[in-house]
Amino acid sequence: MSKRFGGAHAAYLTLNGAIVAFLLLPIAIVLVFALNPTPYIAFPPVGVTLRWFVKFFSSPEFMNALWLSIYVAVIVVILSTVIGALCALAIARGNLPGFRLLTTVFLSPLMLPAILTGLALFQLFMLAGLGRPVWGLVVGHTLVAVPYVLRTTLAVLQNFDRRVEEAAAMLGASPSRVFFEVTLPLIRPGVIAGGIFAFIVSFDQLPISLFLVVPSGETLPVVLLNYIRFDLDGAIAAASMVSIVLALTAVLLLERIIGLRAYVRL
Amino acid sequence: MTKWTFSRRTFLQGTAAAAATIAAPAVHAQTPVLKTTAWGGKWGEVLKGQVIPAFEKEHKCKVETDSAFPYYPKLQATPKNAPLYDVLHTNTSEQWQAVVEGLVEPKLSAKDIPNLADLYPYATSDKICGVSAFTSAIGFGYRTDKGLSEPKSWKDLADPKFAGARGSYIIPVNSLGQMHLMMLGKIYGKGLTDLDAAYKALEQLKPIKMYDFTGGMEKALLSAEVNIGVLHDSGIYRYDGQNQPIAFAAPSEGVLSLEQVWNITPGTKMRELANQYINFILSPDVQKTLCEAVWYSPSNKKVKLGANYDAKLYNTEAKVAQLIQVDWKWYNERKDDIDARVTRILRG
Repeated sequence: MSKRFGGAHAAYLTLNGAIVAFLLLPIAIVLVFALNPTPYIAFPPVGVTLRWFVKFFSSPEFMNALWLSIYVAVIVVILSTVIGALCALAIARGNLPGFRLLTTVFLSPLMLPAILTGLALFQLFMLAGLGRPVWGLVVGHTLVAVPYVLRTTLAVLQNFDRRVEEAAAMLGASPSRVFFEVTLPLIRPGVIAGGIFAFIVSFDQLPISLFLVVPSGETLPVVLLNYIRFDLDGAIAAASMVSIVLALTAVLLLERIIGLRAYVRL
Repeated sequence: MTKWTFSRRTFLQGTAAAAATIAAPAVHAQTPVLKTTAWGGKWGEVLKGQVIPAFEKEHKCKVETDSAFPYYPKLQATPKNAPLYDVLHTNTSEQWQAVVEGLVEPKLSAKDIPNLADLYPYATSDKICGVSAFTSAIGFGYRTDKGLSEPKSWKDLADPKFAGARGSYIIPVNSLGQMHLMMLGKIYGKGLTDLDAAYKALEQLKPIKMYDFTGGMEKALLSAEVNIGVLHDSGIYRYDGQNQPIAFAAPSEGVLSLEQVWNITPGTKMRELANQYINFILSPDVQKTLCEAVWYSPSNKKVKLGANYDAKLYNTEAKVAQLIQVDWKWYNERKDDIDARVTRILRG
């Protein structure tokens, strides 16, 4: 290996190391705070304790919020993947007039501040006399999750070889069979990647939830925000670690089920 | 490869299940429902865990609480004849914003809420719309391990030895910061509304660390990020028995009153239940439970607190005489100008 190449390689590794550290350092700090016995952020830590995790898991308020967040996020994943994938197919395949405008319309929730989306939906529900049901919260989250699925699915569809579908049809497969056995498996990486984004967007959603949460039933980010107004202790860090572990588990499960390498081609 | 099937039966089963889920709340349709607001943290834990279940049992109703702050814009966004809340519990500043827009009642009726008769006068004074059920005293939190003597005056915050180690709040977003600004007007000028004197005094407090929530100030004191900060007494007393080197100091000029105010919305369809709920919150037993849970001072004169609480909280005529209430209606009318001015002062 030449000296010049060795220097460049070292610089490359250093840069990569710095980027990884930049990404992981906040998680490390949260972990330290979650395990530190002091009721405030202190460095260096004075010991190791699980008291904040015990507090988090033994609190009915935190637990109810955690389960509600998971429940809503799972429904949002299902709805947003179905809606987002079908919209992507229609936009990419449908020869629809004004498809660029349609794409912009579907992506528009990403361009608006989420707090305005939340307020607008809240007013709409109130004026319609619907109150604040759980499904209203699901609708709000789905609205901002769909663009992620749409975007990732459209990316896959751009490189899609339609001759595969034509071959299946010519061999006698019905349109629905072509869709479920040819099209869907091929666009699956994009749909799944969008689904993961949808889960994270819903699970961490705060601005929309602030307006649409069900009375007596808040999601975890809302409860955490409320909590830190009065109690800024390690329970917040413990809750953050639980969220991180949950997201990591979801990604690892998907890796086991469909193979994470499938996304890498995106 | 898995073969997907989607029959009419599957569709009907799915639709029925979804309809049942959506229709589920109808089961409780006959039970009166009172909609109100509630803070989080320990307060919410005790309120939702003990107080509300007792009220629901006594009045055979259901109480729905909204803890997703901010409440005022949500109340604004709902029709006045079908308000989002029947009872609004929030701070005094927001209550005054709401009363100006006709979103809450200016006064409550002692005939409908009998416990109003047992309150200290400040709880229903002309500085309050609705009723202040609890209050905290705003003074100083300070470190006891830094060789500091107990602060005696609001002027002590300006002591040069606290430069960079003193704390207050981001004035546009925090009512403690707003009250502290008014107190600066009183201490250094002609009174709580002397803004010119307040601005000048604020300038002299730089460098000062500003926090958005009281929780942040508490942690700053605990971690010695600041040695002295504007804080309410409950923010210090809640660490009682935890061997933390912090204490509360009440300045000799008086302490600011941080009230917890309850009010009723004019368009409520649950007026009787709303009155009963506020009366319940004002009852001696409930007051004692909540006061001892979060170190708030009770508004009801008949409350008998435990010895430790009795020694520290503002629960006698002599003690409540030290509470200083500010004119939130006056402040809210000038808030935009004040925000712009203090932002310039603290940025410069």
